[in-house]
Order: sequence, then structure tokens, then C-alpha cells
Amino acid sequence: MREQILEVDDVSKTFQVKAGDVTAVDRVSFTADAGEVTTIVGPSGSGKTTLLYVIGSLEKPDSGTIEVAGHNILAPSADLIDYRRESVGFVFQFFNLIPTLTALENVMLPMDILGTSPEEQRTRATGLLERMGIDGRLLKARPNKMSGGENQRVAIARALANDPDVILADEPTGNLDTATGQTVIAILSALAKENGKCILMVTHDESILNVSDRAFHMTDGRLSEITVRQTRPGDGARLGG
Amino acid sequence: MRSFHRGFRSFHRNYTRNLILVVLLFVCLTFSMSMLAVKLAADSQVETIKATVGNYGEIKVSSEYQMEQFEAEREKSQAERQAEARSMTEAQTFVNRVENLVPEELTDEFSQDEYIKTYDKVLESMVTVPGITNTSLQQMFSMRQGDEGPGSGGLGGTSNANMFSFNGNTNGASASDFSTGAKKLVSGAFFTYEDYQEANPVVLIEKNLAAENELKVGDTIEAQISGASGADSTIELKIVGIYETVEAEGQSQEGGTGGQAFNPAGSSFYAPTSVVQKLNATPGYLSLGSYYFDSVDDTAALKATFKAETKGTDGKYTFATDLSDYQSIADPVIKARNTSMIGLAGALGACALIILLAMFIIVGGRTRELGILKAIGSTNRQVIGQFAVEVLCICLVAIILAMGVTALIGQSMGNWLLPDTGASTSQQTQQSGPGGPGVMRAMSGEGLYKQGSRFNFGAQTQQQEAAKLNVVYRGTLFLYGVLILIGISLVGMAIPVLWITRLRPARVLSME
Repeated sequence: MREQILEVDDVSKTFQVKAGDVTAVDRVSFTADAGEVTTIVGPSGSGKTTLLYVIGSLEKPDSGTIEVAGHNILAPSADLIDYRRESVGFVFQFFNLIPTLTALENVMLPMDILGTSPEEQRTRATGLLERMGIDGRLLKARPNKMSGGENQRVAIARALANDPDVILADEPTGNLDTATGQTVIAILSALAKENGKCILMVTHDESILNVSDRAFHMTDGRLSEITVRQTRPGDGARLGG
Repeated sequence: MRSFHRGFRSFHRNYTRNLILVVLLFVCLTFSMSMLAVKLAADSQVETIKATVGNYGEIKVSSEYQMEQFEAEREKSQAERQAEARSMTEAQTFVNRVENLVPEELTDEFSQDEYIKTYDKVLESMVTVPGITNTSLQQMFSMRQGDEGPGSGGLGGTSNANMFSFNGNTNGASASDFSTGAKKLVSGAFFTYEDYQEANPVVLIEKNLAAENELKVGDTIEAQISGASGADSTIELKIVGIYETVEAEGQSQEGGTGGQAFNPAGSSFYAPTSVVQKLNATPGYLSLGSYYFDSVDDTAALKATFKAETKGTDGKYTFATDLSDYQSIADPVIKARNTSMIGLAGALGACALIILLAMFIIVGGRTRELGILKAIGSTNRQVIGQFAVEVLCICLVAIILAMGVTALIGQSMGNWLLPDTGASTSQQTQQSGPGGPGVMRAMSGEGLYKQGSRFNFGAQTQQQEAAKLNVVYRGTLFLYGVLILIGISLVGMAIPVLWITRLRPARVLSME
């Protein structure tokens, strides 16, 4: 039996704009398990990213509860800084690597913020980049010297730096060509299967549904589960270590 | 500590952008530090000038009053004057004698003012010394007699070739000529304050005069009491010291063989004021009260006190200070200081503006980075710390360079800011020019007792030296540099602090 790691219950988020209130997330409830890839698909502006940011504590919901590994992150006593550091890892469409840092330094950064010793940072970051298939010669390369696929793999390594329970991926293939996108999806899928991570992806690319264990469709802030016919995990997604 | 490392690393990594900012700040900071160095040098110079000039004043009969007396006397006919002299009582004679002197009571009262540091009572009088001839006067008489022809009457009945100038002070060493180095004691000792208090009949004599008359320390001379006759009409004065005239000798050497246009050597004796008062028959009266006070800044307060104390004297007495000398010497330096302060304020303002604008652009350009840092768990404090280190590094590099360059160009900036005072200096020097003993000029309203001797021969050099700015690197400049560094860094931090605390990572990370 799979362990339920994420539970979102009746979460709503409304933005106030000039034209009036816009409900980006409307009473959304779902769960996600460790070792599974959960995908939320939907058109642009449907509220997918907002939901992801609410789960990642980058946005505060108006109502509802979110439990990650049994902890209510919206409780007044919750330490959201620690939560962001240790429990979740983000993968963004535009990679969001720090341009002045090398691939290795970008992966070391979350560990540095957490207070990990420099030696351990280096060892773990090198290992993660190796698992992501980043050539050793690229360790000292800056993001502008790497391809989109390489950047996204560095971003995934960074998301894994502090060994979080949940990886939140926002359109991880949105800025990549099809082949590279498939490789990235395969990596994320392998992370779920081999490392027991809970992968929550939001995308408008419905082809990703093929590798998902669970899938939801989001329209106008509302979530509805859809049945997926899972194919085997993506080619070339075998992770080392 | 980790934020420090990240900040330092970020400063190092963004070298192109930071270099531009460092250069901009360096230019402004160099100007600021140079202006500051000039200001500090000017402050120091003003204090030096204050210690030398501007803190001297004297109470004397005003030149306006003297002029009035002179005009009134001139309007009288010869017959009127003779009749007046014949009918004068002893009391009237005394009043006439002290007409141009200052009551000791007044000078004593003024000396009680809290600002007064030193006080001297000065009285100069022409006194007859029967046994000694004043060669200067003798030569003058011969010249006049030659000009006027035989039987013309010379200089009048009251002058003779045995008359000498007697300078009275409360203490020999405090006499202006000795305190300024114009004259120097070569043997014996100065008369003391005790000599003044007890009216001991002692005197200082000039070296050449002593040699010509075979006088030495311990010998006595006899001096005539003015207007007295009979057995008690003289006072026997004991020679306690012999002096030489330094400046006159110096001038003679500089001028070569033809030098020595006027040498007061030999015509002056120095004695306690109380003794000179006896010889002049004017007890309780002085030529002037001479004062040194704390600073030129006290002048206004002292003038107010003097005005209150001399109320009802109808402007007969004046409290003359060397304020105008102070102003003429210090004004260029003060102007340079004021200009430097304006320059400093402007340059610091420019520094603040540069760092604010630069940080606005830099932080604006790194918004995504800030969002990422917050998204992966950095606290506001960590991110601010990182930026603080970056800003501090930028400012530190700029100010170190600026301090270095300031050491090189500070003096040039000082010279550039200092107004050219060459013309006014030489003009003033010509006005003060070489002259006789200070008290004579002071009494005649030409200048101050102190000024007469102090600004005689070395005046031009002194004023030129005073009007120079010695812009040197001093500890205070370094401290101010550190303060400026902190200040500029804090200003520079304002934008990142506001930006970081208000930043919502979700908004930033959603942007393409």
C-alpha cells in the first residue's frame, strides 16, 4: 500500500484584480502518494500554477488545509521556511537557475541555505548532477552555457538537493523540445518510482498523462479527476545511484 | 556567515556591473574625500590662526577722542595756550597729563571677565636719564637744527637728548617685544611681577647702550621724575637685565652694508609699570590694558562687557582687538572651508543618488534571483544579508580607492579652493610695515600694541604661511571615511531591503 504524502482539502484562492475577484483555485481537494506521479492538466489560466504555489507555500490560500507528510502547513505554528527548505522541491518551466552560479553551485544553494557543510554540499550536489546525467565538464558551467534540457536537469537536481518528500513541477517541459521534454518527464517519473518521491506536475501537455499515476483536469479553478491509461515509464529515464 | 560568503561571491561574479558602480562611486567619493580633507585641513588651520591671532585686545583711549583733543588744542592760539599753562593748578596739570591715558581701575575691572586669559598693564613714557645720552635723539636734533638754522629752538622745551622711551609692564618677559622675540634678554634677568607689585626700581637696558656707557647688570642709573624738581626728583634704577634687538639686527644683515633704516636699539628701557608710573607722575593710569583671551569667538562677548563697563565715558575708551587681522588671514581659509563643505555635501548627495539608482537597477534586474532564493527557503534576513555584503564590498572598494587618490590630490584640491591672497597680503604688510615700538603706534591709533611688534618684519611670511592649507592625511579623515562608507552602504541597502521584504516569489517566478 502506498503512503499518502500530500493531502489537499477544500483549498480556495481568490485574487482581487481591478475587474473584480478572480477565483484561481476553487475548493480543490485531492491526495497524492509517495512514489506516484500526479499530473494536473488544464488550459492556461485555469489555476494550475496557483494551486502548485499554494501547495509550495508561495501563495497563501484563503481557506482549506494542506497536509504534507502529516503536517498541516497552514497551521499557525507551521514553519514555512523549513517547509520550503526540506519538504518540497520546485521545478519551473523557465528553470529559474541563478545565472551567476555554476550548475554545481546552483544545486548546492538549497543545501547552503539549510546549513549543510560545504564538503557535504559538494559531494551530494555532484552525485545528484551525475544521476541527472550532467557531464562532469558541465559542473562549472553557468546556465547560459548549457542547453534547455541540461538546465532543467540541473533544476531537478536542485529540487532534490535537500531530499524533499514532494517535487512540485510547473510545466517542466514547457520550454523544451519534445525529445528533451520526454527525457525530463522520464527522469521525474523515475524519481517517483525509484526514489519514492511524490511528483506533482502541472502542465497543459496532455501527453504527460501517459506517465502519470493519477491525473486531474483543472478548469476555472475546479479540479476533476480523470482516468489515465498509463504506459511504461519514459525511455532513457533510468537514474543512477 | 553563509550570507556573507554568498554576498561576496555574488560581488565577485557580477564584476562588470559592479565595476561600473565602483568607478562611479569612486569618482564621487574621491571628490567627497578630497573636499573632506580640505575641510579638515581648513578647520585645523583656522584653529592654528585662532591660536596666533584674533585673541588679543587692548583697552586704550580711542583715536577719535585723541583727534578731538588735538583739534581743540589746535584751535587755541599760542597766547591762549600759554595763559592756560600759567593758570593751571596742580590738579588740572594732572588731569591734563592723564588725558590720553586709561584708568587702571577700568583695565582691572575688565580683566575679571571669564574669557580673559592674561592681562598686562602697559605704560610707555619718555623719561629723562641725566647721565646717559640718547644718540638717536641727538642725531635727530642736530639734523633738525641744521634744517631750521641756528636759534630756531629745536624740538621745543620739553625734549632733550637724555630722553628715553620707558616701557612699563607688569612682568619683563610679558612685554610684547620679548614675548614675540623681537628682543631678547642676553644677560641678567627680567624684572618680575613682584617687582611690579612692590614698585622695585629695576630696569632692563639695551646691549649697545649699556656698552657705550660701560654699564652692566647690577649697576644703577638715575632717572628723572616727570615735572618734579628738588632732592626727590630722581629715582635710582638698578639694571637687572640687558637685552638685544633681534629683528633690527636681522634686518641689518639682510640689508647688507646699507641696511638698518631704523634701529630702536638703545632708545628703550623696560621697567615695571608701577615704576614707569612714578617716573611719569601718573599713578593709577596706563597707556593701555593688554589682554589675551580664549579665542576670537569671544570677541563679541568681550566687546559687550567693555561697552557695559565704559557706559558714560562718552566713547573716550576703546576696546581694540586684532579681529580684522584674524579676518584678513583666516577669511581665505574659511572661504575654502565653506566651499569644500558645499562640495562635500554635493558629492555625498551624488554618491547617495548613484548608489540608490544603481541598486534600484541592480535589484530590479535580479528580481527573479530574489524570488528563487525565497522560494527555496531563504529568509528575508539571509537575502538582505547577501545584498548588504555586496553593497558593502562595492562601497568598500570605491572608498579605499578614493582614499588613496585623495592622498595624492588632496593638496592640489586645497590649493585650488584657496583664494589667491597674494595681493591683499602684500598690501596689508605694507600698511603694517616696519615701525617703532608697538605701544607708540598703538597709542597713536595706528595699530595694536601686540600687532606693532608681532606683525612688523615677519608679517608677510606669517600671513602667507597662515593662508596655506596643509592637506595631510589624518586619522579623522579615515574615521570620516569609515562613516561615509557605512552611510553610503546603508543608503544603498534601502532599495534591496524594501524590495526584498515586499517581494512575493510566486509573482516573480510566474513571469517569463
